[in-house]
Amino acid sequence: MHQVTVTASEGLKREFKVVVGRADIDKKADDKLEELNRKVRMPGFRPGKVPLNLLRKQYGRAVLGEVLEETVNEVAQKAMQEHSIRPALQPKIDIQNFEDGKDLEYTMSLEVLPEVEPGDFSGVAVERLVVDVTDDKITEGLDRIAKGQRAFKPIETPRPAEKGDVVVVDFTGRLDGEVFEGGEGKDLQIEIGAGSLLPDFEAALVGMSAGDTKKFPVAFPADYRAEKLAGKTAEFEATVKEIRVADAVAIDDELAKKLGLQTLDELKDALKKQYEQEYGQLSRNRTKRALLDELAKRYDFPVPAGLVDLEFGQIWDQVVRDAGSEAAAAASENKSVDEVKAEYRKIAERRVRLGLLLSEVGQRQKIEVTPDEVTRAVLDEARRFPGQERQVLEYYQKNPEAQQRLRAPLYEEKVVDFVLELAKVSERKVSLDELMKDPEETAA
Amino acid sequence: MTPAMKPKLTRERMYDLILNPVVTEKATRITEHNQVTFRVPLDASKPEIRAAVEGLFNVKVTAVNTVRMKGKAKMFRGRPGQRSDWKKAMVTLADGQKIDITTGV
Repeated sequence: MHQVTVTASEGLKREFKVVVGRADIDKKADDKLEELNRKVRMPGFRPGKVPLNLLRKQYGRAVLGEVLEETVNEVAQKAMQEHSIRPALQPKIDIQNFEDGKDLEYTMSLEVLPEVEPGDFSGVAVERLVVDVTDDKITEGLDRIAKGQRAFKPIETPRPAEKGDVVVVDFTGRLDGEVFEGGEGKDLQIEIGAGSLLPDFEAALVGMSAGDTKKFPVAFPADYRAEKLAGKTAEFEATVKEIRVADAVAIDDELAKKLGLQTLDELKDALKKQYEQEYGQLSRNRTKRALLDELAKRYDFPVPAGLVDLEFGQIWDQVVRDAGSEAAAAASENKSVDEVKAEYRKIAERRVRLGLLLSEVGQRQKIEVTPDEVTRAVLDEARRFPGQERQVLEYYQKNPEAQQRLRAPLYEEKVVDFVLELAKVSERKVSLDELMKDPEETAA
Repeated sequence: MTPAMKPKLTRERMYDLILNPVVTEKATRITEHNQVTFRVPLDASKPEIRAAVEGLFNVKVTAVNTVRMKGKAKMFRGRPGQRSDWKKAMVTLADGQKIDITTGV
């Protein structure tokens, strides 16, 4: 038999004193040993025929530990049920007395989850920023596409090479009269002014006509990749075979067809959609943040310190790791360590509070993440690692925990969606710059 | 037993005589009759064993039974082999006395 008495109950903290009768524990331990007997092999005995006192001598301690754990868990669970408690974390067990032949006495302290009353969200007002995709933006996008699609063709009337041209060159480079590794090239296409080669080289090419051959020195920078050449000057000989000029690509239906679309209008539409999606995502993030800010302001219920500690520990670890040391973390913000800690503690508290609130809302509304949605998230995740999709997929298949990690943000999104539907959302048109502007740093 | 038959043993000889307790199902069962079982050297005599048990465990022995256990014939890599013989001694203790064999001497 066990007795549970409440010794403290203030705020979210609960403390119990538990006494479990020794006979109970011993009986459980003996049962365990009996069970063990069937499996254990001991020389001189057939399995299942080992005398109990011998078993106890050999396995007694281990079994007792097991029994202890079981009992504690069992009692904890029963106590939760009786007192209808929802614990925030695992209860903390502090054993006070556990000697041979005496009753087990311990205290169990835990924090309960606060009762969260989500209430009515219709009073919550958030602003959704809307940005129209301007024609300018689309033109800009089209230009970029056109540039990527442009073709080079040989110039019709011979003339010296200019900046922006593409020249086809054969070259050999010599260092102290020897051809060095990588110092030879044939039919190389070089866009002058693109900066893909050493500046000396590109400069030398300007003014050469097709068929010209020229010798010129090229100075390698001191930090050049090939150590042998770094800081040295080599003698190059280059022959220009051909000069090509970029063909401006007209922005028309032709361009669209190249990209697999029918008409220019379709291409424009596609671009518009793409931009709209981009802006939509940004705006959604802003709205979500605004909503969380608003919620954090409206709800102020006590949160379990244990959870806050846990969250704070995580944040603080991250901060310290980024900064290098606790002192550095504080110094970067010009504050004392304690001040910074207090700040992050506030953030942790806010996160915990919002987390509790959202999960409560989710539970009440029976919001669930369907397996389909998880699968989609896994696929999205896999797409982020091109070439390794298979490994990523396998990883998620084998690790349900990893899937769980993906599930959490999905859940949050769904709950936020739900709340947003209830809340008053006003729309405001803003410029793109305003949307992109990082709102003052708030950790959500 | 007459005092003349009681051999005088040195402490070392006592330790040599009692090799180890025999812990088996059978040995456990006869503890109900207040008997304990030891493995002893092949050349140990009953009076010696009695004296050694009494001397080491500080108990009163009423009887000693011994048996020569024949070593099993075993095949090792296709060749016949023979495990050594050994002697087992079942020592009956006087009423009310006992030895905890699992704690050692």
